[in-house]
Amino acid sequence: MKRVDASRREFLRISSLLSVLGPAGAPFALNLAAVGAAAAQSADDYRALVCLFFFGGNDSHNMVLATDPDSWAEYQRLRATPPDPIALPAPGAAGGVLPIVPNTPQSGRSFALHPNLGPLQALFEAGRAAVVANVGPLIAPLTRTQYDRGTVPRPANLFSHNDQQSTWQAYGPEGARFGWGGRMGDLLAGRNAASTFTCMSVSGNAVWLAGRSTLQYPIGPNGGIAIAGLSGSLFGSSSAPSVLRSIVTADRAHPMEKEWGRITARSIGAQAALNAAMLPATSLEAVPQVPGTTQANGLAAQLQTVARVIGGRGALGARRQIFFVGLGGFDTHDVQRVNQGNLMTRIGQALDYFDRLLSSSAVNALNDVTLFTASDFGRTLTSNGDGTDHGWGAHHFVAGGAVRGKDIYGRYPVIGVNTADDVGQGRLLPAISVDQYAATLARWFGLDAGQLADVFPNLGNFAQADLGFMR
Amino acid sequence: MTTLSQRAVRAVQLVLLSAALAACGGGGGSGSDGTALKEPPTLPPAEQPSEKDTVRFLAQAGFGAPTAAIERTRRIGFEAWLAEQFALPQSRHQPYVDAQIEAAAAAGQSTNQHNWVYESFWRTAIEGNDQLRHRVAFALSQIFVVSLVDDNVGGYARGVASYFDMLGRDAFGNFRVLLEDVALHPMMGLYLSHLRNQKEDPARGRVPDENFAREVMQLFTIGLRELNPDGTPRLGAHNEPIETYTNEDVTGLAKVFTGWSWAGPDKSDTRFFGGNPHPDRAVLPMQSYPRFHSTSEKRFLGISISAQGSADPEASLRAALDRLVAHPNVGPFIGRQLIQRLVTSNPSPAYVARVAAAFADNGAGVRGDMKAVIRAVLLDPEARRPAPEAGDGKLREPVLRMAHWLRTFNGRSASGRFLIGNTDDPNSSLGQTPMRSPSVFNFYRPGYVPPNTGIAAAGLVAPEFQITHESSVAGYLNAMRSALTSGAGSGNPRDVQPDYGEVIALADTPAALVDRIGLLLMAGEMSAELRAQLIDAVGSVAISSSNAQSAANARLNRVRLAIFLTMASAEYLIQK
Repeated sequence: MKRVDASRREFLRISSLLSVLGPAGAPFALNLAAVGAAAAQSADDYRALVCLFFFGGNDSHNMVLATDPDSWAEYQRLRATPPDPIALPAPGAAGGVLPIVPNTPQSGRSFALHPNLGPLQALFEAGRAAVVANVGPLIAPLTRTQYDRGTVPRPANLFSHNDQQSTWQAYGPEGARFGWGGRMGDLLAGRNAASTFTCMSVSGNAVWLAGRSTLQYPIGPNGGIAIAGLSGSLFGSSSAPSVLRSIVTADRAHPMEKEWGRITARSIGAQAALNAAMLPATSLEAVPQVPGTTQANGLAAQLQTVARVIGGRGALGARRQIFFVGLGGFDTHDVQRVNQGNLMTRIGQALDYFDRLLSSSAVNALNDVTLFTASDFGRTLTSNGDGTDHGWGAHHFVAGGAVRGKDIYGRYPVIGVNTADDVGQGRLLPAISVDQYAATLARWFGLDAGQLADVFPNLGNFAQADLGFMR
Repeated sequence: MTTLSQRAVRAVQLVLLSAALAACGGGGGSGSDGTALKEPPTLPPAEQPSEKDTVRFLAQAGFGAPTAAIERTRRIGFEAWLAEQFALPQSRHQPYVDAQIEAAAAAGQSTNQHNWVYESFWRTAIEGNDQLRHRVAFALSQIFVVSLVDDNVGGYARGVASYFDMLGRDAFGNFRVLLEDVALHPMMGLYLSHLRNQKEDPARGRVPDENFAREVMQLFTIGLRELNPDGTPRLGAHNEPIETYTNEDVTGLAKVFTGWSWAGPDKSDTRFFGGNPHPDRAVLPMQSYPRFHSTSEKRFLGISISAQGSADPEASLRAALDRLVAHPNVGPFIGRQLIQRLVTSNPSPAYVARVAAAFADNGAGVRGDMKAVIRAVLLDPEARRPAPEAGDGKLREPVLRMAHWLRTFNGRSASGRFLIGNTDDPNSSLGQTPMRSPSVFNFYRPGYVPPNTGIAAAGLVAPEFQITHESSVAGYLNAMRSALTSGAGSGNPRDVQPDYGEVIALADTPAALVDRIGLLLMAGEMSAELRAQLIDAVGSVAISSSNAQSAANARLNRVRLAIFLTMASAEYLIQK
């Protein structure tokens, strides 16, 4: 009870900051009825989704592997090609892949993770991470024959980076306007005291977070950035600061000018409230350095920012939040062995760190936050000598205390070329659509059946709307 | 209306001017280096563009202009200015980087410092005479993207300087040459991984790397969808867009880009794979290594390069690049993007068609004449229109805002090196650095539509809004205020400082000062409301009547405030 009272006091203090805003209007206005409702609800009624996007198309053939003899032999045959083989060493070998044992058997096959994903292997075995196998954008289920003959509709511009990033996030090639994260925000922002703090990105603009009414709020490492010169003295004038405020938030007729003013007004309005509510960085474990370097792990730093905002959820009056973080460099056309290895190291360390932050007493949200990975596409199984080319279906992770971990969801594909799962050079024909993957997360997040059908219009084309990886 | 003889005289004068400029290696511009300017013929006053039009033009064709350059350009007119710009020698970046390498080596410091590339970029933008070439090269660097963010390219600052020089050299040449120079530059070979790309090996299942083959079509020549000459999509029988290429085309074209690798005195296997590095390999075009070139039939975009008895990489390359450049998409695809970089985000289809027509035929039967395309972009009535229509314009790129201020106000470098470095951080800096795009897709996409906005509702695109958000607007305003307070670049005091000599005299009369700033930065398009706000704000900075130093500071503050409030306004930020 005490905690609820304290957070409500803090929440009311923050909301007084929110009320001092420029002419941006509706997105910032506090819904006072919701304030009361928010306070009345249980402090435990909080959920957050975190999308971790791998920009460039991650080679998931090397991230989640099948190690049974037939699969492994074919994997080695196709990937141990010179001059810089991309095939990973066997389990038990020096630098070998790390075995995982899923709860649900898959035809007697065995599985492993990339050698540099040790911390993620531990999370998997502890039941707080799971694999979803062979996910990709689909309009309807598709067989190899249907693909070859073009008899069933399929997403446009497969294998094109920008279009597939857009398709994963917003159901259409570059230019698609609404992302499914933003659409979830539209439906559930009413549970938050201020819709501003519903959809937040720590990695720039992301169409995934764009909703019909919900606007995404990109933030920096320490939250919002304060604009200097809005108060006090500006170039020797004590009245110029208010002129500056008026100018930068001006509501102009020209659509581009108007948008600039809107973004700046929002920036000013949200920054003070968010930064007061976020946990200070010093209250959490420091961002780790990448093993073997003195560099801070940039992905871990993004996740620390997310954890700090989550830790301030009481003060923000937030019940449902959606976050976007990203990591680049996955387009491993060459030097894959080294480059993907470095990325896997960072991912394993960062996800483990995030797990600890969520478990900490300051944040205390381990069972309320689910992280899931996404990427433009998977890659070819064949090698070009030291790397791979653009693919389609890929394996992904979901992680968090609410995940039914230590399992692989979906049928792990056959390893090889010219199989029923292959659309050329070992590019995977997805067995699970992004709709099914996303709808499973969205259902846990709080969407009902009608809302799921609205946000995921093709969901009904697939047999299984809930893949079952959430508790 | 000039008579034929007057035009003939002027034409001869322009030719003589061009020859003289080429010979003496300078001329034009603000004369900040102190050399005497060789004046081309002054137009009759009735034919001279207005001051406002000239400011608008120079903000599209270059990085902005100080008063002297504005007045000079007015006198000679835009045609003569363009002719002069086409003839000016190129400011190259590699010699600067080479000089820094030598100094660094002597001092025992790293000989691969990325900052040298940025410093040379800023120096040319701020004080270089070949403004048009540099502006076009910057635009081309956002289409034919290569980036120091990449781990491989990042090892070669000298190579990237050379790559940018290549874009500048070919900016006024032929597109076919530009495309080949891009394809064979080792920095592009590293960036899109076709350097040391090997032919297929069916026995081992190895296939050629497809990266460059895909992007050379998607980003550098024809795009994803078939276009009409006016840039609108060609539609199929059911009103669906028509894809320009399939995955099979990518696989076929990928074979062409096999067997190319580092330059050197031989074609040994060792050199192909990166050993025995030639000291200039980062700046010399890649050479062919027939042993690694695919000789099987190469089918793509409706053509077939027959199987080769003995590998002939040059023949394969020639056939592929010829086929790409011949595609009708290239004119509208590239033309529209050049309009977006220089003039406006949403050109009318008719404007695109006129630029595409110039690409298709420069008037003398030549396809791909870049000078003709640039003239078409800049001299089109839609670009020169004095009263833009609703929705016209584009959000100025962050780099161009900073360059605009420094060029307009005669930015000078104490060190001579223009020590402005990495400006990537959107939270505290510009969120953009030349030659540091986050990916081959540039800082922003040509078709970007900010979701859930009036821009989207109006059916407009706004590429530069892709990097504009709640954090980056604050980062820009803070960076601009800081630069106006203390200057730009590194050092204490900061290395690059403006010279407000000609406007400081107006500081005692706020209205005159605001009007002059409004002309220099906004071509006189400032609204009455913004003007009134600025005059009030500027006037509120008290000028002491008793203390000369304090009064001088106050005048300087008035100038800085007028500039800051202007450059903070959406009216300025949206260039029209």
